[in-house]
Amino acid sequence: MDSSQLPRRIIKETQRLLSEPVPGISAAPSEDNLRYFNVIILGPDSSPYQGGVFKLELFLPEDYPMAAPKVRFLTKIYHPNVDKLGRICLDILKDKWSPALQIRTVLLSIQALMSAPNPDDPLDENIARQWKTNEVEAMNTARQWTELYAHQA
Amino acid sequence: MSDYGDSDYDMGGSDAYSSGGDDFSYSGDEAEASSPVAKGAKKSFVVLDKEELRERLGAGVSQVVELLCISDAEATRALRFYKWDLTKLQEEWFADPEAVQVKVGLVDEQPSTRRKEEVCKICFESFSVQDMACARCKHYYCKDCWRGYIHTSIESGPFCLDLRCPDPECKAAVPRRVITAVVDAAHQERYDDFAINSFVDDQRQIVWCPAPDCQNAVMSMHDQLGVAQDIFCRCGNAFCFNCKEEAHRPVDCDTVRKWMIKNSAESENLNWILANTKPCPKCTRPIEKNQGCMHMTCSQCRHEFCWLCEGSWAEHGERTGGFYNCNRYKRAVDKGEVDEQEQRRQHARQSLERYMHYWQRWAENDTSRKRALRQMEAFKSETQELISEYTATPVSQLRFITDAWMQVVHCRRILKWTYATAFYAFADPVNATKEAKARLAQHQEFFEFNQGQAEHYLEKLHGQVEKQLNTFVRPPPSPPEGEAAAAGSEAAGPSGRDQQGWAKFREQLIGLTDVTRIHFEKLVNEFEKGLDEALKEYDVPMAQASTSAAAATAAAAAAEEAAAAKAKAAGKAPADSRRITRASKRRQGPVDQEQAAIEHEAGYWQCSHCTYANEAMDSQECELCSQPRGATR
Ligand SMILES: [Zn+2]
Ligand SMILES: [Zn+2]
Ligand SMILES: [Zn+2]
Ligand SMILES: [Zn+2]
Ligand SMILES: [Zn+2]
Ligand SMILES: [Zn+2]
Ligand SMILES: [Zn+2]
Repeated sequence: MDSSQLPRRIIKETQRLLSEPVPGISAAPSEDNLRYFNVIILGPDSSPYQGGVFKLELFLPEDYPMAAPKVRFLTKIYHPNVDKLGRICLDILKDKWSPALQIRTVLLSIQALMSAPNPDDPLDENIARQWKTNEVEAMNTARQWTELYAHQA
Repeated sequence: MSDYGDSDYDMGGSDAYSSGGDDFSYSGDEAEASSPVAKGAKKSFVVLDKEELRERLGAGVSQVVELLCISDAEATRALRFYKWDLTKLQEEWFADPEAVQVKVGLVDEQPSTRRKEEVCKICFESFSVQDMACARCKHYYCKDCWRGYIHTSIESGPFCLDLRCPDPECKAAVPRRVITAVVDAAHQERYDDFAINSFVDDQRQIVWCPAPDCQNAVMSMHDQLGVAQDIFCRCGNAFCFNCKEEAHRPVDCDTVRKWMIKNSAESENLNWILANTKPCPKCTRPIEKNQGCMHMTCSQCRHEFCWLCEGSWAEHGERTGGFYNCNRYKRAVDKGEVDEQEQRRQHARQSLERYMHYWQRWAENDTSRKRALRQMEAFKSETQELISEYTATPVSQLRFITDAWMQVVHCRRILKWTYATAFYAFADPVNATKEAKARLAQHQEFFEFNQGQAEHYLEKLHGQVEKQLNTFVRPPPSPPEGEAAAAGSEAAGPSGRDQQGWAKFREQLIGLTDVTRIHFEKLVNEFEKGLDEALKEYDVPMAQASTSAAAATAAAAAAEEAAAAKAKAAGKAPADSRRITRASKRRQGPVDQEQAAIEHEAGYWQCSHCTYANEAMDSQECELCSQPRGATR
C-alpha cells in the first residue's frame, strides 16, 4: 500500500509506535493495509491476566482522528468490560473520544482496564455479576481463561 | 462592565418582558383571527418566532458576557447550567464566583504561546499560529482540525453546545468565534437550532407551539405556571400553555384530560351520534348537516328544527318568548314502580344518556368550530372579493365579517368545553346532604341559564354570518327600467333596496358579534370566579331568576329589532352600530368606576340585557327592555 496517501498524522503515529514502543504493548501496521494494526498486550502484573499474551486488532476508520479507532480483543478474555466478540466497553472509544487522543493512549487505556476491571459499567452482564458477587471466584476464572487461551504465543 | 442596576434584560425574571410594552403585538391577521377575546385581555404571553428567539438568546448571552466578564461560550454554558435563569446565575456568581466556575466547568486560563509556529496536536502538521485557534487555553489546533472536530460534534447531537477543547485533560469551552470561523452554513444552522431548542426546552416559562408545522415558541408571563392558560399562536393555533391540548378556558387541565380519556374509552358508543344525516323529525326525509349552526331547515317540508335536540326551532326561544334550553340535560322521567334490577338498568342507561348528551354537544361544537374556521378562510380567500364588488364596499370595510367569524370560532371552542366541564360539575353527588344537593342544583340552573343565553346568541350570530351573508354573494338584481331611470347616476352601483338590506345586515352582524362576545365573557368569568361567588352578585334570588331571565331574553330579542328600527328611522345606522361596538369593547374594562367614566364621556349607557344604548343618563332602567341598569354586572 502506498503510504503517501495516508494522512501525515497516521504516518507519524505509526513511526512513533515503532520507534518508542510502550512497555508491554506492541502495535504494527498490517502490510497490505496501513490503517489496520496487529496489537499485542501482555497481561499486566498482579492482574489475573498476568503471563498471558493478548492479541487485538485495531482499525483506523476513514474519518480518524475525528472518529475513534475500532479495537477488539482477538484472544478470548474473561473480563466484565469485554463481550464474547471481544468488543471493549471503554468511554474513550465512544462518547469520550477526542481527536487529541492517539493509538498509544487508547492501548494504554485498555492495558489499564485489564488491571482494573470496571464491573459497574459492564458489557457482559454475567461476568460482571460474578465479579461483583464473588470476586475471588471471578479472578480464578479469569486466570483459568488466561491459562487456556492466552498462552499459545 | 455594565452597571447592574441598569440592566433591563432579565432572562429569568417573570415580569421582565411585560414591562416592554408592545411585546404582545401580533403581526398578522391570523394571530388575531383566533383571539377575539384576548384583544382586551391582560397581556400575559408573547409569541416568539425563530429569529426573535435567536435575538433573546443572543441578548441574554451578551449580558452575561458583560456582567461576568467571561467568553460567550462560557456564558452559554453557564446559562444552560442554570436553565437560562440569569438571576440565579448572577446571585450565585457574586456570592462565590469560583464555586460557580467549578460547578459549570469554566477555566480561567489565557492562551499563551511565544512561538510563531505550533504543531497541531491533531494532524501533527506545523502551522503559523495565526492560522490556528485555541479555546482560551494553550492547546492550538489548525482550522481544518477544528472544523472536523466541531462538525463531528454537531452531527452527534445537542451536546455540541457544551463543546470543550479537544485535549482530554482540558475543560476550556470552545468559543463561538472559533465555531463561526470554521463551520459551514448547514452546520452553523444546526448548532444554532440546538441552542434555541435548549433555550426553549430548558425554561419552564417557554414552550413550543404544538401545531405540527409551526416553529414558534410562546413565553408565558403568567405569575402562576402549571395552571391552564389559553395561548393564541401567530400560526392560528390556540392551545393550553400547561397541557398543550387545544385551548380550553374556562376548564382546568385535569378535567380536559379526564374528559378526553373518557371519550376514547366510550368511542365505540359514540360514533353513530356524529352521523352527518338525520331524518327530518316531521317528514322523516334524511337531512344532511352541511352547516355549522344548529338551526336546520328541511329542504322538503321546510320544517325548522334543532340539530341537537330535534325539537322545533320555534320552541328555541326568540319567537315564542321561551329561552334557549337545548343545552340542558333533562333526565328521563322514571316510569312508575319498577323492581330493583330494572332500576339498576335504568340507572345505567341514564348515566350513558347523560354522558351522551354532553358529549354530543361537545363534539358538535367542535365540528362546527372547525367548519367555521374553514368557512372563514374561504371567505377571506374567495367570497370577500365578490361581496366587495356586489355591495360596492371596499374590502377594508368588510373586516366586521371576519370579526364575526372569529367570534364564532372562539365561542364554539368555549362552548364546547363548558359541556365537558358541566358533565363533571353537575354529576349526581353521591352521599351529599340535602343542602349541598340543593346548592348544586341551583348552580346548575344558573350555569345552564347563562350557557343557554350565550349559546342562543352564538346560534344567531352563526346563522347570520353563514346564511344571511350568502344572499350578498350574487350580483344585485338589475333594477326595473323605470327605477333605473329614476336612480340616474346610481345605475352602475347596487340598487337602493339592496343597499338598505346590506346596511341592515352589517349593523345586525356587528351588534350580534358584540352581544355574543359579552355573553361568552360573562359565562367564562362567572365560571372562573366560581359559581357560588357569581351567584352572590346576582341581586335577583335564583327562584325568580329563570322567569325574569326568560322575560329578559324575550325583551332582548324585541329590543334588538326595535333598536334596528329606531336606527333606521333616524337614518344613522352606521353611526349607531359603531357606537354599540365601541361601548361594548369598553365594557371589558374591569372596574366599575372606569365604566362610569366611559359612559359619561360617551353620553349614553348600554343596557347589559339588551345592549340598547340609553341616552337618559339619569335613568336607572333600560328604555327598551325595562331591566334595571347594571343588574347583571
Ligand atoms: Zn485546551
Ligand atoms: Zn490540524
Ligand atoms: Zn403556532
Ligand atoms: Zn390545559
Ligand atoms: Zn322535513
Ligand atoms: Zn335544540
Ligand atoms: Zn335593555
